[in-house]
Amino acid sequence: MDRVIGLIAANFATDEMGELTDERTIASLPYGGRYRLVDFPLSNMVNSGITTVGIITPYKYRSIIDHVGAGKAWGLDRKNGGLFVLPGSVFGISSSGSRFLLRDIRRNIVYLMRSPAPYVLVTSANTVSNMDYSELLKRHLETGADITLVYNIADSDDVHRTGIKTDGERVTEVIHGVSAGDKAFLDCFIISRSLLLKIVEWYSAIDYLDLFEVLEDDFDKMDVRAYMYEGYARSIFTVQDYFKRSMDLLNVDVYDEIFSKDAPVMTKVQDSVPTKYVKGASVKNSLIPAGCVIAGSVEDSILFRGVTVGKGAVVKNSIIMQSCVLGDGACIENAIIDRSNVIRAGTVIKGSAEEAFIKEKSVN
Amino acid sequence: MTTKKDCIAMLLAGGQGSRLGALTRHIAKPAVSFGGKYRIIDFSLSNCTNSHIDTVGVLTQYRPYQLNSYIGTGSAWDLDKGRGGVSILPPYATETGGEWYKGTADAIYQNLDYIDMYDPEYVLILSGDHLYRMDYQKMLQSHINNNADLTISVMDVSYEEASRFGILTVDDEDRVTKFTEKPKEPDSTLASMGIYIFSKKVLKEALIADSTDPDSEHDFGKNIIPNLLQDGHRLFVYRFSGFWKDVGTIPSYHETSMDLLEPNPQFDLLSDEFPVMSRENIQPPHYIGPEGSVEECFVGNGSRIFGTARHSVLSINCYVGEGAFVKDSVLMPGARVESGAKVVRAIMGENSVVAAGAVLGSEDPNSKIAVVGDSIVVEKGGAE
Repeated sequence: MDRVIGLIAANFATDEMGELTDERTIASLPYGGRYRLVDFPLSNMVNSGITTVGIITPYKYRSIIDHVGAGKAWGLDRKNGGLFVLPGSVFGISSSGSRFLLRDIRRNIVYLMRSPAPYVLVTSANTVSNMDYSELLKRHLETGADITLVYNIADSDDVHRTGIKTDGERVTEVIHGVSAGDKAFLDCFIISRSLLLKIVEWYSAIDYLDLFEVLEDDFDKMDVRAYMYEGYARSIFTVQDYFKRSMDLLNVDVYDEIFSKDAPVMTKVQDSVPTKYVKGASVKNSLIPAGCVIAGSVEDSILFRGVTVGKGAVVKNSIIMQSCVLGDGACIENAIIDRSNVIRAGTVIKGSAEEAFIKEKSVN
Repeated sequence: MTTKKDCIAMLLAGGQGSRLGALTRHIAKPAVSFGGKYRIIDFSLSNCTNSHIDTVGVLTQYRPYQLNSYIGTGSAWDLDKGRGGVSILPPYATETGGEWYKGTADAIYQNLDYIDMYDPEYVLILSGDHLYRMDYQKMLQSHINNNADLTISVMDVSYEEASRFGILTVDDEDRVTKFTEKPKEPDSTLASMGIYIFSKKVLKEALIADSTDPDSEHDFGKNIIPNLLQDGHRLFVYRFSGFWKDVGTIPSYHETSMDLLEPNPQFDLLSDEFPVMSRENIQPPHYIGPEGSVEECFVGNGSRIFGTARHSVLSINCYVGEGAFVKDSVLMPGARVESGAKVVRAIMGENSVVAAGAVLGSEDPNSKIAVVGDSIVVEKGGAE
């Protein structure tokens, strides 16, 4: 995989994430108890043997730069290659939902020009998977395609994804929105570096568009192929997606696949102490990272680092982010409690099963 | 080349820790897992970093591979420095042959060149197998204030315990007047913690003199300290009052681990002051299954618990199967208790397995703690 460099397009914003992205972007959204969404493409690239990764940062870049730093956690603090932070542009309308804004690539064209690698693997930063990209490269080389993109089959919750129409393996059309059973783009593709450079140059006049918007008219001239990914891969566009795809991890098969021992998901390390369970604690079907202290009851939920669950407190079907303190007897159900919230003793917070209540981040 | 440092640390990590039996069969004692995610050497290394001592020589000898790879570049403790940082110092060959480290003093003697490279005023000598949090700067300040040649960190122990330690008798100004290794009838209860600050010049002279003494065991406690005292050097004690433990035996390892689970443990790992750093292999959050039940436990990342765990330390990547029961035990990283198995009052080594339906340990509080070495499988019906 030393013939491939990575490009993570983390400058994707949407209005559908509510308060969760007031202060951060989707790429740096906390996920799975200790990770951020960007950890998944970053780790997948490194685990696939890619050692040069450019990350196009979002406009609100503080949280993502804080997180990735010099790339040490991913072994990307290297002399040769390593992590390149590529500043992204300001979006006009965030709800346009572009993942691969041409302008972002054009602005950072030097990153692509200076590399000797013949191929570029491009992904978004809002898809959770543990994908081995070397399979994709192999396929791409076998078919000799110009672009090979990755898709899987949409389920009923995947409404916000981009669909593709194919003729055999050839992609003929890109459509917005999918229904269950449709082929849905996983926002991940491989392309030769020279072609990507050419495309950016050809379409420089309309670089406010998404790469796939401008390519749509070229599908008859250009060999764009689709590669089906069989493993778990789900993209997050809305609060509902976030909630549901988080809870997917409570399925042991998904947990085992995403957190494969052979291809570990890497993230910024903090020295958290193992979690302490106090007498009277009761935890069922939940994901608990290090650094928590649990005296109450937690069920069907995901906690993040440094969460304290007081005596008699009850957490059900909820996501409690980093450093929250739930006072004795507090009751949280169907909710997302963003980081650093202190929930006073006895407080009750309940959302509905259809729509989780969001308690926004506290500035602590 | 000299890169002048005020104080550097020499960390003795070469001992086997043979009284830990099966736990140190394959690894040196400083590399033994403790507290769910730590290795014993984390505590000394973290103390160095938290005390702003950025140059640490780690002396290894017994089964060093795991220790060496664990320490790596020292980045986990922010000890990957351009000048200084952590250096692993194993025994080495010279033009005249080369020798194993014959004792604690000899290990330092053989690395005088390393010390000279940094030309420090003071040398801090530490053991890599003690559990404690300590600000070495305070001890160094005391050393400087006393204009001492050697300062020995001490703690007050009970009279009964005193005969297990090197015991120091001091005058009104805390200057050492007498030092006795493991006295039968102690006349003081100030016990040496095996933590020394030497003025470098005195250390160097003492080590060179000791190296030519054919009767010496080349040990700080047995030889260097008594000789310095006899020669009229200025030896002082530094009184330490926090938690300190040499988990040298299976019962003490077990007891210290169980104490972590108390509501107010003596050694509070959760305290934010002086954080303990460790080299972490990133593991996912642990998962407790629908029928899992965990109380009074420490649980590390990457573990999966489908059965019941009570009053135990479950380290990273442990597995407790459905219907399995774990109590009053320590599961080291990667230990597996398969479905329906029972583990009570036991220590399971790294990646060891208690097979489905098998039993390890006994509820009887007078029974010995059951110990399973690293990667050992305990079968159903089979003895350990």
